Amino acid sequence: MAGSVDPIVIIIVAIYLIAVVVIGYYSRVRLKSAMDYYVAGRRLGSIVNGLALESTYLSPASMLGLPAFIFLLGYPFWWAMVAIICGMPLATLLTASALRKYAPVSFADYYADRYGDERLRWWIGIIVIVGTILYITLSLVGMALFMVAILKMPYFIALVIGTIITMFYVVYGGMIATSWNAAMQALVMSFAAIIAAIAIVWQLGGLEGVYIAAEKSYARIWNSPANAPEVSHIFTGTWIGVIGWYFVWHLGFATMPYTVVRFFTVMDIKTARRSIFWCALIAGAFYVSLQLIGITAKYMIEKSHPIAVAAGGNMSATAVLASIQRTYGIGTVTDYSMIAAVEALGNPVILGILCAGGLAIAMSTAAGWAVVVNTVIARDWMVKLLKSKKAEEKPILYGRIVAFIFLLISFIIAIQPPALVLDLSGWAFIVIICSIGPGLILGLWWKRATKAAMWFTAIVMFVVSMIAWMRAYFILGHHARFFLNDIIFGNPNALITPHQIWTVPLGFILFIIVSLLTKPPEEERVQKYCVELTKEV
Amino acid sequence: MIIGDGMPWPPKVFWVGLLLIYGTAVLGWLMEATIRMNKIPTAAIWYTAIWGTFLLPVIVSVLYFYFPEKADEKRAKEKKEVK
Repeated sequence: MAGSVDPIVIIIVAIYLIAVVVIGYYSRVRLKSAMDYYVAGRRLGSIVNGLALESTYLSPASMLGLPAFIFLLGYPFWWAMVAIICGMPLATLLTASALRKYAPVSFADYYADRYGDERLRWWIGIIVIVGTILYITLSLVGMALFMVAILKMPYFIALVIGTIITMFYVVYGGMIATSWNAAMQALVMSFAAIIAAIAIVWQLGGLEGVYIAAEKSYARIWNSPANAPEVSHIFTGTWIGVIGWYFVWHLGFATMPYTVVRFFTVMDIKTARRSIFWCALIAGAFYVSLQLIGITAKYMIEKSHPIAVAAGGNMSATAVLASIQRTYGIGTVTDYSMIAAVEALGNPVILGILCAGGLAIAMSTAAGWAVVVNTVIARDWMVKLLKSKKAEEKPILYGRIVAFIFLLISFIIAIQPPALVLDLSGWAFIVIICSIGPGLILGLWWKRATKAAMWFTAIVMFVVSMIAWMRAYFILGHHARFFLNDIIFGNPNALITPHQIWTVPLGFILFIIVSLLTKPPEEERVQKYCVELTKEV
Repeated sequence: MIIGDGMPWPPKVFWVGLLLIYGTAVLGWLMEATIRMNKIPTAAIWYTAIWGTFLLPVIVSVLYFYFPEKADEKRAKEKKEVK
């Protein structure tokens, strides 16, 4: 099956794509104003918004990247997934309710208004651009991998087709279309992962079978840092590593622009709170499924993947993936492990549903980020800062041009991705959370938060986190290493996964120190943002 | 002005949810570090996946809309009575 196109898979994916076009067309009829394009006219209900939140927030970094990381790092990585889903309810009372009460149009509106400086839109925009490029790149990589699974074509051609489909989807929708489609996509992708996980658990004979199969594939797979030195992987072999993974995405839901803007699209504060319940419910089931697929992927590939079976059952999972890599020219082949595990089930219906779910998650994430970036550039930069009359008169046209440019840039990077999809996502999280997360959360919950602290933290932490990631990646050989390991400890592996451990707290500490050292904000501003918005959330 | 003095403070239910979430993580890590709970067959599937990833966030998100909505209703009722 790894080498042949299955018509059942194609039919299921075609049905999904037709549904996307129908919903997109119906939504486009309702796209009448710039407000519809940016914030869906603020008329989404809790279920639609909750599902849209899920499919936007959970990208191919979740669907492909998390099982791939479990495949590589073993069970301790499950804790990172606990943190991601548990971060969702925390956002309800931390940012979602207050921001819905405030009801801005753009992510940067809050910063410009709260800190009384329109120029902040420039810097926020630059940070958002970095996140956008990383996320649209990983979405296109994910899209291409699923296209490889569907059509058994070379990765590059799959990437071209995937990018064209995403371009049509993003450029023609705006927030109103992407919201309805994203809601449908949440159901498709969650159903896809759940059905694949059930099939695997069923085939292995229940949860006990899952535990045993995983252990058979790799004796240390269930080991935690407590089982040192026999840890499952060096990156999850220390408590600092496990706790670090736990916190990297934990605050993301409350502070990442592509989720925060979805708090603006709901009808009211009550709907904002309830939408997170729906999001956590479906996303939780989706994640448990990914945990089960990831932990059994090695066993499934080695025992049942057509390539392993053809080789007489004596092929390691890594060798199977390497063979797929050679055949289709895939750059980040470990990301394919989740698809390969489902291919091993030998059921084209489940593979078809999974591929439809994979396309769904990739398109919805790319679309969510495209709307964020074109709001920042076409509205915040061009209309608000540069006072462009043309951009003001034709906001949707300019938004589409911006989305097109970013898809093109991301396409070029996706040809040879610099890292696994989850690495790219983790990088975006670290950069954004540590540089603008403190200003968002403390701007609401701390009266003393000042404009100087906002500027200082946003600039310093953005630069520091970018340098740290790139130094670890290019000089020490892996981004998960502390970037000064060689200088301080003389050993590149001395500290593992510490970016998030130090960058996020450092961002908050810097913000607090600079706030205390600088002139307090005006009482009127404090009253509006720290008292009115946080009252009765 | 640094802390207190009319500072905004999340409602009590926020801290309950926070305690449940971080309590689960810390307790899980402690149990793994002391009694190697992760090596008990299927235990990790129950406490990390089914409880930690699915049930816990759903329960906390219910708490986070149920109690604020109750408080909203109470305030609306009090406002009506005052009028």
